[in-house]
Amino acid sequence: MPELVALVKHDCPVCDQVLPALDAADIRVLSQSGAQDTEAQAARLGLRAVPELDLDLELSARLDPDAVPTLVLLDGADERGRVEGLDRQGMLDLAARAGVELNLDGLPEIRPGCASLTRDPEVAARLAARRARAEGRIRSRELRVGELEDPFEALHDRGLTDGLPVVPPTPERVVAMLDHTSRDPQDVVGVVPPYGGEATVEKVAVNAVMAGCEGPELPVVLAAVEAVCEETFAMHGLLATTHPAGPLIVVSGHPGFHSGVNVLGQGDRASMTTGRALQLVVRNIGGGRPGVEDRATHGQAGKLGMCFAERLDDTAPWPGLAQDRGVPPGEPGVTVMALEAPRVIVDQLARDPEGLCASLAMALESVATPRLRLAFDAMLLVGPEHGRVFREAGWSRAQVQQRLHDLTHSPAGSLVRGADGSPEGIEPKWVSDPDMPVAKFASADRILVAYAGGDAGLFSMVFGGWAAGEIGSAPVTRSIQPWA
Amino acid sequence: MSCGLRDVIEFEALGRPGVLVASDAFAQAAAEQVQLLGQPKLAYALAPHPIQDRTDDELRAMARSLAGEVLAAIRT
Amino acid sequence: MGVTTRGPASAATWRPAAPLRILDPTAERDAAPERPLAPRGEPRAIALVDIRKPRGDVFLDELERLLRERGHEVLREGKPTFTKPAPQDLRRDIAQRCDAVIEALAD
Repeated sequence: MPELVALVKHDCPVCDQVLPALDAADIRVLSQSGAQDTEAQAARLGLRAVPELDLDLELSARLDPDAVPTLVLLDGADERGRVEGLDRQGMLDLAARAGVELNLDGLPEIRPGCASLTRDPEVAARLAARRARAEGRIRSRELRVGELEDPFEALHDRGLTDGLPVVPPTPERVVAMLDHTSRDPQDVVGVVPPYGGEATVEKVAVNAVMAGCEGPELPVVLAAVEAVCEETFAMHGLLATTHPAGPLIVVSGHPGFHSGVNVLGQGDRASMTTGRALQLVVRNIGGGRPGVEDRATHGQAGKLGMCFAERLDDTAPWPGLAQDRGVPPGEPGVTVMALEAPRVIVDQLARDPEGLCASLAMALESVATPRLRLAFDAMLLVGPEHGRVFREAGWSRAQVQQRLHDLTHSPAGSLVRGADGSPEGIEPKWVSDPDMPVAKFASADRILVAYAGGDAGLFSMVFGGWAAGEIGSAPVTRSIQPWA
Repeated sequence: MSCGLRDVIEFEALGRPGVLVASDAFAQAAAEQVQLLGQPKLAYALAPHPIQDRTDDELRAMARSLAGEVLAAIRT
Repeated sequence: MGVTTRGPASAATWRPAAPLRILDPTAERDAAPERPLAPRGEPRAIALVDIRKPRGDVFLDELERLLRERGHEVLREGKPTFTKPAPQDLRRDIAQRCDAVIEALAD
């Protein structure tokens, strides 16, 4: 036999109006409020029966009404009808279907109810988290944290931070983060070195919350994790090396990232947290920690996280780096590359692409040391005042790369060990002709070229690579679209 | 007693093994506190209650009988 | 009871109304991350920290004698009061001068 059930709360004048009638008709009433508030309301209205409590908002969560009072006709677990708010005729009809005589005389025809407690953002978040756990969308175990522990210190003490405080990844925050991808939280994004931890979408979301990501960055983080877990990226080696390099993320064409003034510096939440989220994934899911697996002699500030977005407005000389490297036009992409911290290249006088390339080449050639050749790659981040030179001259990215490659040759004799007093360099036995030009980079496409920065400043930036090619790390580009 | 536990937690965080000696009247409270403070393995040694009205000789005997346990808590 | 003195700079560390539930960010290949204790070794210098309740000094005097017999260096320290945790400066100072700490006698 179908049963009528009403949902109310204590601080709702419409519930106050309707409750005496429900009470008189002996209809089962559940309150979203606490025991004391419910009793006080019942006393105030002179009800014969105190409404039951909807413990843990279980029924409210199941029925998910927008408003209270809500009158529902339930047949077991199935809903046969409902009226939200005060709707006299609607309620009378519903009651009739249950064979209940309801007297609503004197009450208004229609009066909208008050927001259901399930619509309170905090409550809704808690219910969403509970539902996600029940449905298996969230599977992470909870950390055992003492009730009297400070959650920020607790996360730090357990070795789960990069030295800065992280946002505690509560189930509510993680569920909210997962709203920013349509992917199943249990999809595996990649297997993270050095210990082969599986990075599921959920686990990445946990670390993205910790990093301070707002949410829209999640697909970018996911794509970056996918890229970094590629064999060819050699994340294991990159983590373990004594060299300072770390993964840099270049975002091409994803909204919400700043690409202008101070693009490499502090201030843009999306860039800072995306870079940080990737490194937290490496640490927490992969298990790579400074001093243990990570043996960098000095490291660098970018190992906290390095991420910038390309400036792809009408000042851009070229399409996005990711799009140049295979991501379909119109799709946003990321490129990850193993790089040191950037260094500035100053040229305040070049007005033509040849001259500018000559200046840029000087800096590129000195990556690591001018004496080491072929083993490195590099990223050149062209600033807008420099970019204008290329754009106005109509030079393509490939042209710039080729010219830079040509200009980063030096005679073998200047590179041999002992030249100019420096013991570093090419072994003498390889130098048959001291005038023979030796390339710095194995090929033109080892110099990746990106574009971003503020309008003013005749600067570009060079990021030196780690170990390039087959023996080391190759940059990896991925579309962000599959993770949206 | 719980102030002492917090001190030991801080010493541990500073890299120094620590142990608190407390009256066994606090046995239950101490066991609960270390859980609440997120340090279930924190070391404490329990001395038989009461403490205050013990003679000097009794206190010294207590120290002798607890010395082994206390040392073990801060050594490998 | 005192309040936790570690934490972002403020006298009383923020504490949520209900304990926060936090999801594990690791791949869960091992037991859940726990707050580790300091590594144990062979402490040479041991600090005896007197919480300054009456009679504790007698207990600690004997403990000092026993520890010295075993070849340990013993530092005698004291808290300003047993009613609060020791000031962080004092704890740091003690920690710098010893290898391990015994705090007594809480009753």
